Amino acid sequence: MDLSINSPEATLKKSHSKAIAGNLGIPLFIYATAIASLSIIIGLIWDISWHTSVGRDGLLSPPHLFIYLGAVISGFFSGYQVLKTSFWGSREEKDKSVKFWGVFYGSLGGLFCIWGCFAMLTSAPFDDWWHNTYGLDVTILSPPHTVLALGMFMVQFGAMISVLALQNQEAPSHLTEKQKKLRNIILRGIFIFTAGIFLAMLFTISSEYQGRHDMHSVSFYIVGAIIYPLFLSTVACASKLKWAATYTAGVYMLILMLMVWILPLFPAEPLLGPIRNFITHYNAFEFPLLMVIPALAIDFIMQRKGHINNWLLALIIGPLFLAIHIAVQWPMGNFLMTPLAQTWVFGQESWYFGADPDWQYRFAFADWMESSGWELVKGLLIAAVIAILSTRLGLKWGTWMKNIKR
Amino acid sequence: MKKLITTIFTITLLLIVNPVNSHVGSPGVIFEGEAGKYKIMVNVNPPDVIPGTANVQIYTTSEGIEKILLRPIYWYTGDKGSPRAEEALLLKDTPGQYQGEVWMMENGAASIEVKIIGENGEGTVLVPIMAVSTAQKEMEPTLGWILAGLGIFLVILMITIIGNSVSDATVAPGEVKANLKRKKRIGMAVATVILALILYGGMNWWNLWAERYQRFMFKPFQANSSIKDTESGKKMIFQIDSSYLKTRPNSLSFKYMIPDHGKLIHMFLIREGSLDAFAHVHPTRVDSLTFELNLPPLPNGKYFVFADIVRGQGFHETIADTLEITEQEVKFQLASNKEIPTWQPSDTDDTYIISNPVLPEQTMLATSNIVTCGKPGIKTPLPDGSSAIWENDGESLQANRLYPMTFSIFDPDGEPAELEPYMGMMGHAVVMKHDGSVYIHLHPVGNYSSATQDLIQRRISGDEGMPRKFPPAEQFKDSVDQVIAGIQAMSEKDRNDYLMELMGHNRETIQGEGEHEGHSVVTFPYAFPEPGNYRIWIQMKRNGKVLNTAFDAVVTE
Repeated sequence: MDLSINSPEATLKKSHSKAIAGNLGIPLFIYATAIASLSIIIGLIWDISWHTSVGRDGLLSPPHLFIYLGAVISGFFSGYQVLKTSFWGSREEKDKSVKFWGVFYGSLGGLFCIWGCFAMLTSAPFDDWWHNTYGLDVTILSPPHTVLALGMFMVQFGAMISVLALQNQEAPSHLTEKQKKLRNIILRGIFIFTAGIFLAMLFTISSEYQGRHDMHSVSFYIVGAIIYPLFLSTVACASKLKWAATYTAGVYMLILMLMVWILPLFPAEPLLGPIRNFITHYNAFEFPLLMVIPALAIDFIMQRKGHINNWLLALIIGPLFLAIHIAVQWPMGNFLMTPLAQTWVFGQESWYFGADPDWQYRFAFADWMESSGWELVKGLLIAAVIAILSTRLGLKWGTWMKNIKR
Repeated sequence: MKKLITTIFTITLLLIVNPVNSHVGSPGVIFEGEAGKYKIMVNVNPPDVIPGTANVQIYTTSEGIEKILLRPIYWYTGDKGSPRAEEALLLKDTPGQYQGEVWMMENGAASIEVKIIGENGEGTVLVPIMAVSTAQKEMEPTLGWILAGLGIFLVILMITIIGNSVSDATVAPGEVKANLKRKKRIGMAVATVILALILYGGMNWWNLWAERYQRFMFKPFQANSSIKDTESGKKMIFQIDSSYLKTRPNSLSFKYMIPDHGKLIHMFLIREGSLDAFAHVHPTRVDSLTFELNLPPLPNGKYFVFADIVRGQGFHETIADTLEITEQEVKFQLASNKEIPTWQPSDTDDTYIISNPVLPEQTMLATSNIVTCGKPGIKTPLPDGSSAIWENDGESLQANRLYPMTFSIFDPDGEPAELEPYMGMMGHAVVMKHDGSVYIHLHPVGNYSSATQDLIQRRISGDEGMPRKFPPAEQFKDSVDQVIAGIQAMSEKDRNDYLMELMGHNRETIQGEGEHEGHSVVTFPYAFPEPGNYRIWIQMKRNGKVLNTAFDAVVTE
């Protein structure tokens, strides 16, 4: 007979561990939203892989369940936090929160998560109706999918903001130095983790322009200039870590690579005709962009020149990021077309089941895919200007995030 | 010379077409026949939105079936490009009835493969369907209100979040900052403007999506029917609207029309409202879009016009229109008036019948040879003294259930009648809902296209490659005209034998076995697509004369 459940030792241990967690001052919903964020990105990448491998799905397919699980976790924990603080919270807890609609108190990050959860749940019946009206989906971007994507972004952004607010607040005074250090490590780690997921999400949503066939085209670098300098300079500015952009890029690459490595291990069979490419296992999603290299440059400049005027900073970071991004991805595009990339590590043999596997440009750039001459020069100049503006916006956004305290 | 041979070859190939599922509002495709040693009826309801799912019902009286598998096969990719089959499941309360779903992802000529596995081995049949988007749906109000409510909630919450993001959230506990309220208000105002722009953009995007769907949606051809007085009497002119070039720019030219049962168009004229006048006519081609015929002596009134056509690649469809007949010289006012109209049919197979109106309160047309419509299960006399009965054991008809619709014909002595082929088939039926929203032209083997079935079958066996290139349009049109003229010039027996042979039948099999039990019974498998009141016209041939009759049926939910 096991009496340990109610034994005094067990009770003591339990309360002790609770005290440690509580003492670090990191509420449970922080961990919950980080996990929700991960659940969403796994579900999303799996879902894309599902569509390119199996094809047929329903509202409750396993990848959709992962996505909705993320919505439910974040919504439940954030909602609980709001209700608890509003109706049973202490004065101190309320002071650390944002007051809204007269009666409610909650963290800003929690509000983003709640918004994201509702948007994601709203998208489900909307999407179902959309399929019945305009046909089952064959595209990533449709209005109901955009509502879903906005919801996912907000949940993931909420996770980032929640942890950032804690990082930006004073650590609880009763913590020892060691505990404060541990707390900092955990909070900064969670922030990088959630930021990496957010970057993976940005990449996934824009992946129609970010594949290997796009790497010699200006549109690839223009889309990249809009997204990556904006987000990475935000993170570099908001985080208290020295190499925040690099770590974030590392987390993004790791998540994408793990998905490339794991999914094709599982069997999958196309269930929709017409089938042109006969596969037996899941198709991998995209191999990640080598983002750590240009991200290193962002961190490096931020450390050296972080104090100068933000416009000047953007003028340095934007073009530098773009130059390194081109220097890395252009040859990477060539590499991804080679047989070496058609391996388990890089997953480039993956090919949509409905596409012709013998297409002459499956592993080659067609003329129309490559920009050259004046079109290339003009496109890259436009990308450089965009990169400057997007970096500047990122610095502004990061400064705001640095100031989030609730 | 080579060109001529190609043309003749292509036309011969295309003449094999037996496309009979032209319809309005009745999208189901029905097959009746044998899969190996199993006798089955298959009813396929294609999706109304592509991509979407087709609902397949299978009815069988055969024993020893272990399972039934369904698979979509597109002509373009053949069977090798089709996913693994899905099992159709036996319905609990109805023995012998199976049901399954098949996903159709692309527009185009496709078919459903039905494979039966059981004690008597395997048997496979292909049921051809056309995968096209035809539906335009509105959002149900309940869902609309729920989504609108959630949308408003999301907008208000986002405005709140942004307002707080630039004000309260940036203040540490206990810290005091100036102008917080003002910042919040500005934040909220900016957020409202941005969200309004996003919503406006989203609305436009949605509209664009709907427009694009509309563009790819199947749009039936339009036509104008009119009457022209000529020296030889009244002529009906059927002019196909050439504006289809705008709505269906990739459509194959009408010069590639091909004959079905030896006719370019099977046209039905049905008097609106009372449905008491019915004509089955076959207009002749004047030019590629204009057709004409000697108008039968039909009573004045407004008529539904349904023209069934087929073009080169086997795409069969119905062009619907209306026609107002006025000042018809033939007098129908007096029952005693036996004036025989001097109507010279432009096609020897053109016929018409006058029957009782569908509603008792409607006035009966005054003419001598009125056909009284029958009802299921009740013997009905026919004009030549014979009689017909719709074999029905008293059960009421339900929508979306497949019925064999079997008609037995008896000669004036009460003995089973000896039927003869009429335009190469043992019978023709037209089913119409009283309001004209459902119309279909049926033949005894179901309403699938045997041409598409044949093409896909040959694609699977590897005999058929990519689509054959058509000969030049004018050349094709002239050749078809010549073929039709040749068919018209044949004696009736030769013509029937020729048409039956084209469809892979011969007189013995079509009259003796398989699709007909003997010479006196004709079966039209059909599932009424929706509840309502229907009239069904049946046309057969006995003693060299066309036998026309009609039945009324009430179909419930």
